[in-house]
Amino acid sequence: MEYTRRSVLSALGLGAFAAATGCSAAPSGDGQAAADGPAEGEITLLTPIYEGSTGKQLLEGKLLPAFKQKNPNVTVKVDYTTYAALNEKLTTGLAGGLMPDVVMLGVGWIPPFAHKKVLAALPDDLGQRFDYEDRVLEPCRYDGKLYALPLILDTRIVTYRKDMFAEAGIKQPPKDWTELRAMARELTRADGSGKLTRVGFDPFSIDLRQCWETFLFANDGTLFDESGQQVKFNDDRGVEALQLFLDVIKDKSGDYSFKSAAGQPSTLAQGRSAMMMANNSLWVQLQEQTPELLKEDKVGAFMLANRVPAMFQGGTLVSRSATTKHAAAAQALVEFLGTPDTILPTAAQRGAVPGVQDLQTSDYVENNGFVKLALGNMDKARSEGGTPAWMEIREKIKTTLETAVVGQRTAKEAIDELANQSKEAISRL
Amino acid sequence: MAVVDGVRRVRAGRIALYLTLGAISVVMIVPFVWMLLTSVKTPADIAAFPVRILPTKWAFGNYADALQAAPFATYARNSFVIAASHTVLNVVIASMAGYALARLRFRGSQLIFLGFVGALMIPTYTKILPEFLIVRFMPLFGGNDITGQGGTGWLDTWWALIIPGAVSPFSVFLFRQFYLDLPVELEEAARLDGLGELGIYARIMTPLVKPAFITVALLTFEGSWNNFLWPLLVTKSDSLRVIQVGLSVFRTENDTQWAFLMAGTTLATVPMVVLFLIGQRYFVQGFATAGIK
Repeated sequence: MEYTRRSVLSALGLGAFAAATGCSAAPSGDGQAAADGPAEGEITLLTPIYEGSTGKQLLEGKLLPAFKQKNPNVTVKVDYTTYAALNEKLTTGLAGGLMPDVVMLGVGWIPPFAHKKVLAALPDDLGQRFDYEDRVLEPCRYDGKLYALPLILDTRIVTYRKDMFAEAGIKQPPKDWTELRAMARELTRADGSGKLTRVGFDPFSIDLRQCWETFLFANDGTLFDESGQQVKFNDDRGVEALQLFLDVIKDKSGDYSFKSAAGQPSTLAQGRSAMMMANNSLWVQLQEQTPELLKEDKVGAFMLANRVPAMFQGGTLVSRSATTKHAAAAQALVEFLGTPDTILPTAAQRGAVPGVQDLQTSDYVENNGFVKLALGNMDKARSEGGTPAWMEIREKIKTTLETAVVGQRTAKEAIDELANQSKEAISRL
Repeated sequence: MAVVDGVRRVRAGRIALYLTLGAISVVMIVPFVWMLLTSVKTPADIAAFPVRILPTKWAFGNYADALQAAPFATYARNSFVIAASHTVLNVVIASMAGYALARLRFRGSQLIFLGFVGALMIPTYTKILPEFLIVRFMPLFGGNDITGQGGTGWLDTWWALIIPGAVSPFSVFLFRQFYLDLPVELEEAARLDGLGELGIYARIMTPLVKPAFITVALLTFEGSWNNFLWPLLVTKSDSLRVIQVGLSVFRTENDTQWAFLMAGTTLATVPMVVLFLIGQRYFVQGFATAGIK
């Protein structure tokens, strides 16, 4: 078993959760602070998405003053963190009985935290204020209740070089994996010595967990059953999704060593890949680093498809603590953060997808090709998570799948191992 | 003839040694040079492929832009206060503990020393949660009552940033090894001359283990200066955040502003490089003497 900083903290966190929920830090049963009464008091907001300089300016210079105007008796103290340290912040805060009043969580994080009764259920009508796709609200729910509102979303799509497609005489994006692999082989280039200079398909430059999940969803697979108690990804659809990565490495239309880290210039922009799995925020990076590619319309995007078209949906959700002493104030902030007026500038500063369909016609969406594609297809978005054991399982997916990608195991062996780890984690709930 | 052969062999050995050391130096310095060059590149230069070593346009403005992105003066001041406090406290307390364990005979000293050695084996991340709970439930601080309930303890205060990292078991271990090597005659002579235990520690023994002090001071300062997770966990006020947390503003979930990140990292590295240049002779000596090089 591999011990990582996160796995150790997760394990400790489980004990801490138990202690926190067993003692006075969390409410018993379904009891939670009611959000009736006047919105007043000082509340804390824990956020992993406004941590950059422009984010701080937006939050403290524009959004919170607007909130203050509507709620003059509420003061918001912001605790900035990064996604990399969010779980640690929450785990330690919970253990110490100091859950922030309002928290921003990732997609997939609601079931674990709602299961521990540290989040308050929100009125269900908050999910009907704006035009949400059902798939967008899915990760906000647990056990039939609404626990969060979507703020921004990040999808995983296939981006491609139109100029390379034209050069190879390819007119349409692939309809399934057979076509995808054939095109990848056709678009791959090597120098005289046989060394790859361009891969036809680069699935490795995004997080392997999220990439595999995208392929699983496009293969009509799912991670867990509806109750979150049964592992469902270890059937043929999950194995085929991982096998595809091994196949593109084997026929040299993809190469694991080509992968670029987050924020590094992408292989697509550098001309080192013809198709690349990407986060929709790649559009913003292209605008900064290689704007000529967008001006000359050399970059396009499509949704991955095999048995069904699908895209991975991640993102940030906003929720309130079940133990807050200022429930009305905390809920007012959650409601405020979930409005299009907040969502749009927040999405724009990160190149993310605003989660409400009402914003389809906004300038930001109209002028961002990847975001436009994503928002127009939210009915095909699929979220990760779905089990209260997700925080433990998510840390194991990448490291386990990587063993197959680097040739230590077969795809089936890696998926079976992951399934066993997941079952163990679920059995400990 | 044999002498000439010997000289040639020595010279060839020297050349091989210098070549090896030169190659290692290049490997060590390349990341720093890369950091410096990236810090003055434009986004287009950073994205260029094939990779350009030198920027086509020198963007020195990245430094000014990076400094404007966050209150780095405050972050740097905080990091300095924490690192300097840790250094002073660690050097004073750990050297006293190390001296006591090495030179004083008292019941249980071996057991205590084993306790310190055992503490060395505990992974840092497994200590975070217990330490956090101690800080949060600190009695009579931050609104807490005598049982540690009711407030926030040391959270979001200088206490939380300074006290938990003030003394490290490694430093105690290092000092003990140094004091252990000193001749017992010195100590006995000082005692015969009527010097007390504190005097022997401060005036006789400690001046002889300067390399240990420099080594511990540099390592402590470096560790504190680069600490990221603990300051992030125990603070929420921007006025108490440190430089490593400040640097993280350039790296978000979806994007990394490499030029700004490298410019900020260059500035954050400067104090450590200066400190090392000043103390490098003692630093190397310290490790050599401690037998842990």
